[in-house]
This record gives sequence, C-alpha cells and structure tokens, in this order.
Amino acid sequence: MNNEMTGEIRRQFDRVLAAGCSWADIRIYIEDATESLYLDDGNLEGNSASLSSGMGVRVLYRGAWGFAATAKMENMAECFNRALNNARAAAELPGFPKDSGDVVKVAGKYESPVVTDPFTVKLKEKTDFMRAIDAKLQNEHIEHRTVSLYFQKRIVHYFNTDGTEYQRKIINNFADMSVMAADDEGRTQQRSCELAGNGKGTRGFEWLADSNFAGNADRINAELAELLTAPKLPAGKRSVILLPGQGFLQVHETIGHALELDRILGYELSFAGGSHVKPDMIGKLSFGSEKLNAYAGFTSNSPGTFGLDDDGIPQSEYPLIKNGLLVNVLSCRGDIKEANHVAGRDVMKSSGGASRSCAFYRPPIDRMTNINVAPGNDGTLDDIIAATEDGIIMDVPVSWSIGSNREHFHFGCEIAWEVKNGVKGKVFKNSTYHGHSLPFWHNLDKVGDITTWKLQQVANCGKGEPNQIMEVGHGIPVMRFADVDTGEE
Amino acid sequence: MIDSKIKDIILKARGEARKQGITAALFLHREDSNLIRLGNSAVALSTSEELTRFSVEVVNGRRVGAYSINADVNSLDIVMDALNRANENCLESPELDYQPIPSEVEEDTADYTGYDPQMISLTAEDKTTVCSKIIKSMPDKYSFSGSWSSGETEVFLATTVNDNCAYRKLSDGVLKIVMKNNIAGWEIAADQTGKNRADFCADAAVSHINALLSIYENNPGYQTVIGKQPVVFGPDAIAEMLTMALWGGFIGRYWEEKRAFTSSNSFGDMLFAPSVNIYDDPACPDTFGYPFDFAGRKRSKFDFVKDGAFAGLIYDNATAAKYGKKPTGHDIGTMDIVFATGDAVPGLENALAQVGDAIYIPQLHYLHLPDPTRGQITGSSRFNAMRVVGGKFAAPLLSTRVTDTILNIFGSITAISAKSVPINISSTYGRRSPEVISVPEYIICSEVRISDVADSF
Repeated sequence: MNNEMTGEIRRQFDRVLAAGCSWADIRIYIEDATESLYLDDGNLEGNSASLSSGMGVRVLYRGAWGFAATAKMENMAECFNRALNNARAAAELPGFPKDSGDVVKVAGKYESPVVTDPFTVKLKEKTDFMRAIDAKLQNEHIEHRTVSLYFQKRIVHYFNTDGTEYQRKIINNFADMSVMAADDEGRTQQRSCELAGNGKGTRGFEWLADSNFAGNADRINAELAELLTAPKLPAGKRSVILLPGQGFLQVHETIGHALELDRILGYELSFAGGSHVKPDMIGKLSFGSEKLNAYAGFTSNSPGTFGLDDDGIPQSEYPLIKNGLLVNVLSCRGDIKEANHVAGRDVMKSSGGASRSCAFYRPPIDRMTNINVAPGNDGTLDDIIAATEDGIIMDVPVSWSIGSNREHFHFGCEIAWEVKNGVKGKVFKNSTYHGHSLPFWHNLDKVGDITTWKLQQVANCGKGEPNQIMEVGHGIPVMRFADVDTGEE
Repeated sequence: MIDSKIKDIILKARGEARKQGITAALFLHREDSNLIRLGNSAVALSTSEELTRFSVEVVNGRRVGAYSINADVNSLDIVMDALNRANENCLESPELDYQPIPSEVEEDTADYTGYDPQMISLTAEDKTTVCSKIIKSMPDKYSFSGSWSSGETEVFLATTVNDNCAYRKLSDGVLKIVMKNNIAGWEIAADQTGKNRADFCADAAVSHINALLSIYENNPGYQTVIGKQPVVFGPDAIAEMLTMALWGGFIGRYWEEKRAFTSSNSFGDMLFAPSVNIYDDPACPDTFGYPFDFAGRKRSKFDFVKDGAFAGLIYDNATAAKYGKKPTGHDIGTMDIVFATGDAVPGLENALAQVGDAIYIPQLHYLHLPDPTRGQITGSSRFNAMRVVGGKFAAPLLSTRVTDTILNIFGSITAISAKSVPINISSTYGRRSPEVISVPEYIICSEVRISDVADSF
C-alpha cells in the first residue's frame, strides 16, 4: 500500500468523521485469487482461475451501519459517500444504536503458514498430483471418480478510524476425492474424503503431500465396495459415534451457527434464521453434558484463522461452552452493548473477533472462526467402540437440514458401521440421524482423546444478505451420543 | 445498451482472439445492487455494490481453460490479460477424452423486457420509508426483521465462433418482512417480488400479515403428530420442493451417473400425479425470462414433467459433451421454472375447505436430500404454518419436519390451484442472480410423512 493511498484513506476517514460518523473502516483487496481444478473420470473438466480486487467501506452514523463497495480504486471518495448515504438512510429508522466499543488500535500483519504458495505451482504439477490420486481410485467396481483442488489467496489491507493498519495474506488449500458406483438396487452410493489435518504444520501446496491426502484413496475405494452390498440402516434408537468427518458438521450447524450473535439478536431472521439461544442464557444455559468443551480456536493451519477480524479486532482463543455450560458466543464489536442490554446484565465484555467478510464487496457479519471441540479423556476410537453396546459409527455428510432456530436437525451420512457389544461390524448405507440440539448435546457421553482430533475444513459456509460464502475450520474429536434416533421409518 | 466503451473493448478482444486462432467466449456480468436489512424494527445495515465481472472460456481442441476477473474492467489491457490467462490455462491443460462444446451465440439479442428504470432509482431512503410504514402500522410489541434487495443486472456475451452478441438488462427486487412476537416466539412473514417498482407496496405487506395475525394472537402453538397426514403446501414450500425435485431428478449428469431419483426411469414413465406439469419457460410472465443461456443458446419452453410423466433432462455443455448429448440451453445459474397451475378454485380458503382437517405449510426451511437416489427430502416448516380444522385455520403450527420422497409428495397431489404465484429464489452468492419460480398458490397432498415435531416455532 503506497503512502498516497494511505493518505487518501486518512483524508476520507477525517471527512466522514467530520460529517457525523462515529467510526469507519475500509478493506482494500489488493489480490483475491482463486484456482479451481476438477478432474472428472480422469478428465480435467474444470480448469478455472479468478482474480478480484476492490474496496469495501463501512461507516457508523448515528448508530447505523452503511456499506458500499467498488472495484474502481480511484473512486474511494465516492465509495465513502455512498456508504455514508446508506448509513444516513438507515439512521432514519433507528434501533438499538450500534457502537464500535472501545478503541482498539492494532498494527501488523498475519500470514497463513505456507512453504509453497499454490499459485506458484505449475498446472502440470497439480494435474499430475490429481491424476496420481485418480489412478489409485480406479477399480473394477468404481463407476465414477472425481478429484478436485481449490486454492485461495487473499491479500487484504485493513484500516479503521481507531488508527488500525493491518495486512492479511491468507492462503487456503482445499482438496477432495470421491468414488461412486451403483449398489445392488441400482442406486449410486458415494464415498469421499476431504483434505483435513491436525491443525498444525503449513497449509501451502506442500500440505497435500505432507498430509498424505492421496493415501485415503485405497480406503474410500474399499469402503465403497462394502456399501454396494450393504443393507439400509434400519430405524431405531441407539448410540451414535460421530467421526470428525461428520462431527464437524454437527458442531458447525448446532453449535457454531446457534452461537452467532447476529442470529441470536434476530438480525438474520428473514434469511438464515434465528437461534434458540438468547443473550440472557450466556453464563446460565446448560448446552450439553459436562463432557462438552467447545471453543473458538486460534488454530494455525485452518481456514478459520486470519489474525485480525474485519472489525479490526485481533483473533483470540476463548471458550464458548465450558463443561457443558454456555459461557460466550461469536460476536462482532457493534452488537456487544445491545446483547448486554437485551440480557439485562453484562453477559459479554468485548467482541469475540468473529466479524468476517468473504470479499471486498460484502460487509462483515458474525461468522464462525475455528469452532473446535476439545479432546476428552475417553480414549481412542477403538476404546470408544469397545465401550459401546449398541451403536452406529457415522462419517461424512450427504445431507443437512436444520430448524430455523437451530433447535433441531436431520443429517444424512455416506456410511455407517454397526457396533455391537464393543465390536465394529457391518456397513449400512443411506444412514441418517436426527434430534433436538440441546437434548442431543446433553447425551454426549464419550469424547475421544487427542489421537481422534481432526481439523476439518469448511469451504462453503453460506450466510448473510447479500449472500456470502465463508471458509471456517472445526477441530473435532470422536464423539459418542446416547439414545439417538437413527434411520428412517 | 451496455456501455459502448466496454462493448468496444470486448469486441476488440474478440478480434484479437480470432487473429490468434483462439476459440473463446467472452462474458460480462455487471450489477448495481442495493439492500437494506431490517433487524429489531430498525435498518440494521444498508449496502450498495457496483460490480463488474468479466470471464473468458477458451476451448482448444480437447483442452479447456477459464479465467475471470472482478475488477474495474475499463481497458483492452485488462480484458486481454484475462483472455491470455484463460488461453494459458487451456494450453497447459491435459486433453479431455471427449470433444468439448464451445459456446456460441445462436442469435443476436438485446433484451430489455425486464428492465424498469424506476426500480433502479429506488433508494435506501425510499425503502426505509416503506418499511417504516409497515412497522408503524403494527403494534409496538412486535419486532420486525427482513431485507429488501433491488438492483439491475446486465449480461453481455460474445464468442469467436460468430459475430452475434447476446445482451440482457434486467431490474429486480425482493422484499421480505418478518414480524416476530419475541415472547411467544412465532414469526409471520410477508414477501414481495418483481421487476418493477410498482410490485412493492407497504399496504399489501400489512394486509398479508393482518390476515394471519388473529390466529397467532389467540391460539397457542399446535404440535402435530408424527406420521402421515394431509398437507396443504403454500407457494414458497412448493418452490422449495420443486427446486429440490429438479436438482435430484432432472439434471442430466446425475441421471447418467445413476444419482438421480429418475435414473431408473425413461421419458414417458409416470413420476407424479397426472395433474403435474413442470417446465422451464422464458416466456412465462411470472419469471424473469432469460432469453439465452450463458453459452449463447436461445432458450425456449422445455418440459421436465408432462401430465405427471418424465419428459426431460437438463444437459449443460460439459455434460452434453461427455455423454454425447445435445445441450438444452441450461448453461445458466438461473432458469424460468414453472409448476403449472391446475383447476382447483383459487383462494386459500377454498383449499382449506376441500381438505377439512390438515396442516398448512407455506414455507420450508433448509430443505435437503438425504437420499437423492430415492428423491427423499427433509425440511421443516417455518413462517405462517397453521393447523387446519374443519376447513379453517385453527392454530399456528410449531416447527414440523417433513421427511418424504418427492415421488410420494407430488404423487399424492389431489388439487392444484388455478392461480399462479411468483416466488423469488434469487441469490447473491458471488454475483446477483435474479430468479423467480412460478408455482400454484397451493397444492393439496393427501399423504405426507411428518418425521419430527418441536415444542417451539
């Protein structure tokens, strides 16, 4: 960022403050690049890249937010004007005044830990990598194979009227593979695997090799073969053991989204929905069993790690649910006073650093970061299986449907394994389970140790109007739940 | 018409591509979007975005490559840079084992039929005034949330295959107001959608809410029973299920891969009740009417289900190339889907009178497909759902989960309203993509499986 641009930003800040704004910020996306590769039955059917650049400006005027965005870098003053006009219009129908809270001045930068920037790697090297996996996926029982890679690079400069100047360079690396074939009823079954890790190490192109992602090909191939002759999961109440590949979605949908403060306060009602959690429940609500410890993590190798949020608040690690008790929620700085007002007491001290925007042209909203569940002391996956009399192990989402207040859910999974008297047995296809969020989390009765903990990446969390897709992370151990409704009548 | 400077730049780039022997499609998407978001009876956020996206797809023999930019597209250098990057991607790419189908604009088109300049002049202040009127019409004890998005979208497509260009300029808007009783927990919603400024009106929203309010105010929430029962579905729910039905049953690629619930069927097989007709029709006045797809194909009426029978599958360019089929004009994120009206007397009161005792589900939240190969869907009731007793609304319905197959639901239809309703299913993920589905005001299904019920709304 050159001095001329920085000077212009400061001039615009001074101008809108003089016009009556209490706070303002600007995000300048120098480079927002993506590369998407899709190998379909060995053919590179998808081969696309994109580049975005532009600025997003937000101002707070008489307690109301206004936002504007443009790709025309020379139009900064006009962009500020549009944001101010939008805020003035919003202030005509005022609610609880938004407030930026205490001044938080930050300087510095955050860079994702990366050895090899994937955007510097030649296409041939990437397609060779994909083809090597595809070759492993080929087998006589496989009818359809896919391998995909998706890379992101974002270089963002952030400034606000607190005096904050911060630079983020984020690199994300997503990958998945899948195999499909028709089962003995002629209906296609699928097994898939996404790139996941342990939250450590680096997340450049090297991660694909370091994580032995390709090593999953043989496993999903063999598991699909079992699915093809497997019976459908019969309906019934039983224990459910969620592997991290499914547990992450359970956490994402019934803890993460339920604890977003904008949903809690009713700002997402007309689109994404509300939450069964209310502000006065913070510090009081028994969300789950004592084995449940969920937290917003600063997990180094994760798409939910960014250093400084889009309110200018440094990212930190803090508990959300402690031994089953709700102790905090995901928040941005503008809603803290309102949450305390609605609760009738101070339930929150400061922003949770969860204000995030997916692009220069979208305003920041409350978002998940790394919503992790801490490992427990119930041993390894084998230990949990050995301790299970009648249960089902489930992995990898096929479908997810959640009540509008996150109060109930229905999930379908790619694969399930029966557990009888402590022994993992036959495979079931078309497995589903459903429940009500709070009773379900109260039935959490086993939490695996660190050997079971995996950092799962989510590349496609949708929320907000205008709509936004965000990348988040979930570090999840193996979890067992008692008395769960499984299968369909 | 598209800004003449930008058009000239794109056409010059097309000329350069031809000189270099590059087969390319050059696509521009420009939007001017404005939105206010309501929360707790206030404007919680007001936004505006002016965005231009330019993308290039290159086909070279059996190789493909693409590149897109979201930036200030104001010079030939920028456009040529995107073209060159797409071409480099293509040249470095391995060959497919089938021949890809390049985009081609079939007919020179400039379409303004969905454009209302008054809609574009709608300001955040105007929207705030309308919303304020709605809110002030109702008692203070209720809390309002919602959103109102409006804007204009321009798309322009040129390819090196011929000299034709396809252009479309469209205005659109969608308003959703949700009124909540924060103590009882219920929510009543009112929606409006359209291409014109005149499609939006505070009085209509207030009237819609008031029509349901006394039931909500005077009756506790009703928890229905798990199991099969008759259901009257309202227009948003029909649109949601229709979207899932198309996704799960009528995408050529999924059908070819035996992932569709129609994969074991052939055209002509009965899927749904004989009264069901589903098609894509850009001439339908309810929809936004896309005259061409983004591969340049002219769009026309396309049957999916005719008199209950399987009639068509969507093949985009890539799928058509892979499976040796002809593209159907669906290289487009949005369609003009119609669930045809039937012969049942319009008016919800007539639907309720026909059904006697049932539940009414006008909207479904977070629908998904647990078993796509069987067309099994699951989702839960949301706004405005009711218990129906003796042909009248009796109580608001607590959150109710429907888990059943599309084949059962659309197969058990006993009545389809003769009145159509436009339902906005637009999204702004990535870019402004206006889309409306035309559906009947109601359908009555004799037997739908309720799999779960909650004790809250």
